[in-house]
Amino acid sequence: MTTFDSRSLGQASELFDLTIAELRPAAEGVVSLELRAPDGADLPGWQPGAHIDVLLPNGIVRQYSLCGDISESDRWRIGVLREPASRGGSSYIHEQLRQGDTLTVAGPRNNFRLVEADRYLFIAGGIGITPMLPMIRAAAAQGKPWTLLYGGRSRRSMAFLDEITGLSGGETHIVPQDELGLLDLQKFLGQHRADTLVYCCGPGPLIDAVEAKCQVWRSGALHLERFAPSDKAARKEKGSFEVELARSGQRLVIPPYRSILDVLQENGCKVTNSCCAGICGTCLVKVLSGVPDHNDDVLSIEDQEAGEVMLVCVSRSKSDLLVLDL
Amino acid sequence: MVDVRRVRGGDGLAEINDELDQILDSVVENTRLATESFFASYDKNPDPKVLAAWLAPRAWREIDYVFLLNEQIRRYGLEFERKHITLLAKQSFQEAEHYEIVGKAIESLGGKVPTSVPPEAKPWSDFLWDCLERHPLAAIAAWNCSETSASGSFEPTFKAGERHDFAEVVRVYKQIETDEKFHVGLGRQVLAAYAKTDHDRDEILRAMRGMRDIAWKTFTPESVAQARSA
Repeated sequence: MTTFDSRSLGQASELFDLTIAELRPAAEGVVSLELRAPDGADLPGWQPGAHIDVLLPNGIVRQYSLCGDISESDRWRIGVLREPASRGGSSYIHEQLRQGDTLTVAGPRNNFRLVEADRYLFIAGGIGITPMLPMIRAAAAQGKPWTLLYGGRSRRSMAFLDEITGLSGGETHIVPQDELGLLDLQKFLGQHRADTLVYCCGPGPLIDAVEAKCQVWRSGALHLERFAPSDKAARKEKGSFEVELARSGQRLVIPPYRSILDVLQENGCKVTNSCCAGICGTCLVKVLSGVPDHNDDVLSIEDQEAGEVMLVCVSRSKSDLLVLDL
Repeated sequence: MVDVRRVRGGDGLAEINDELDQILDSVVENTRLATESFFASYDKNPDPKVLAAWLAPRAWREIDYVFLLNEQIRRYGLEFERKHITLLAKQSFQEAEHYEIVGKAIESLGGKVPTSVPPEAKPWSDFLWDCLERHPLAAIAAWNCSETSASGSFEPTFKAGERHDFAEVVRVYKQIETDEKFHVGLGRQVLAAYAKTDHDRDEILRAMRGMRDIAWKTFTPESVAQARSA
C-alpha cells in the first residue's frame, strides 16, 4: 500500500488543496473528477502525458493521468477506474468522495511526454485512455495524423467515448472485446513505420503484447505507460534480459551473472562453442530483433554496429528482449 | 564474418601483420597439399594402420602442446593478464582432450598412440621448445603457425573420410577444427597484446618462418612411409 509521506511523493512539487468541482460517471466503473482551486485561480501548466499524485484522506497516494484539456488552465481532470482488487485507493474515491470535497494533490509530473513526430499511433486499453486524450488533442491541434486503437471489456466500460468521437484529424478504432475481440495489433504494428511514434497505456498484457510487436520497430519508437510495474519488471534483476528462440518461441531469462550460451545449453539448445571468451567466433548466432551488447574481440566493428549477429558466449543485450535465430 | 586472425586486443603486430598472414597462408596451403597427397596415396592402399601412422604425429602435437603451454604459463604467464593465463590453460586442457580423442581414433584403426616424440615429429617438437627458450612470445608464435597449418588438413581429411568411411576420425577432427579457431585467435591476440619492441617482432617472425618450413612435413605420404619403415 502506498501511504502518504514525503518519501512516497519522490520529487513531487508543491501540494495543493483542490476542490472536486465535478464528479460524474464516465463509464461503467469509471468516474471523472474535475479539480479546481478553491478560489478559481489558474493551476500549474502541464503537458500531455502528465499525472498528479492524489493524497487521499485515508493516507493512500495514487497517481492519475491528467485527461482534460491543457488549454483549460483553471481545472484538472482525472478519470478513476474502480479496481476490483482495490486496496483502498480507487474504492475510496468511488465510495467516499463527493462533489465539493477537498483533495490534496501533488504535481503535475510527466514521465510520458509526447515527442515530436510526423504521425502517431495511440493504443489504449481500458482506463489507459486517460493520458491519450490530451495527446490526441495535441496531435490534432498540430495537424499531425493520428490513429487511436482503443480496447475495453465492453462499450459500457469504455470511458470518454463521446469525447473521442468528436476528436478531429485522425482515425479512431473502438474495439469492445465482447463485440469485436482483442485489438488487432498485428495489423497496426506488424510493419515498422519510420514516421510514426507509438504511445500505449493499458493493462500489463496489452503492454507486453505491444512491446513484443514493436521489436521490429526502431529503438525509441514505442512509448509506454503501465498502470503498475510489470510482473516481468518486478522479477527482473538489474542486468538481466530475455532471449526468445525464434524457431520454438521459447523465452529464457538471462540473469546478470550468466552468459546467454550457458542458459541456452542448460535449456537443451545446442550451440557450437569453444573459447567462451569472444575470441573463436564459433558461437555466432543470428539476431532477428533486439539490440545486442557486443563484448567479443573478433566480430568486425561493422558487424557489431549492424547488430545482425552476436557471439552468445560473452555478448549481452541492450534491449529487454533479443530474438535469436535458434 | 569471423576472422580469428583479426582478433582485437593489441596492436603490437601492426607492422608485421601482412607478413604473418603470408606465412600462415603459405603453411596452410602446404599442409593442404601434403594432406591431399597423403590421401591420394591412401586411396590406392586404404590400410587403417597407415592412417593410424599418419595420425600419430598429430596426437604427439596435441600432447606436446599441453607440455609446452603449461611451461609457457609457468615461465612467462605472470607477465600476462590473468585472462590470458586462464585462456592458455583452457587451451592446454583442450589439447589434452584432443590427445585423448585422437589417441582413441588411432587405437580404433589398430595403431599405437605415441608416448614419446615420434622421430618424424622431432624436428617440429625441437623447434617449438627451442622457441620457448629464446623468447617469451616465440613459442606462442611457433604454435600459432603450427595450429594454423592444421586447418589446411581438415577439408581433405573430411573428404577422404567420406570416401573411406572413417567417421570417427572425421568426428574427432570436426571438434578439433572448432577448438583450433579458439587457439589460433588466442595466439594472435596474445602476440598482439604483448609484442612491444622490434626485437619481439623479430623473434615472432623468426618463429613463424621456422615453423612454416616444418609444420606441413608430417602430413606427407613420404613422412608416413619413413615412419613405418623405421
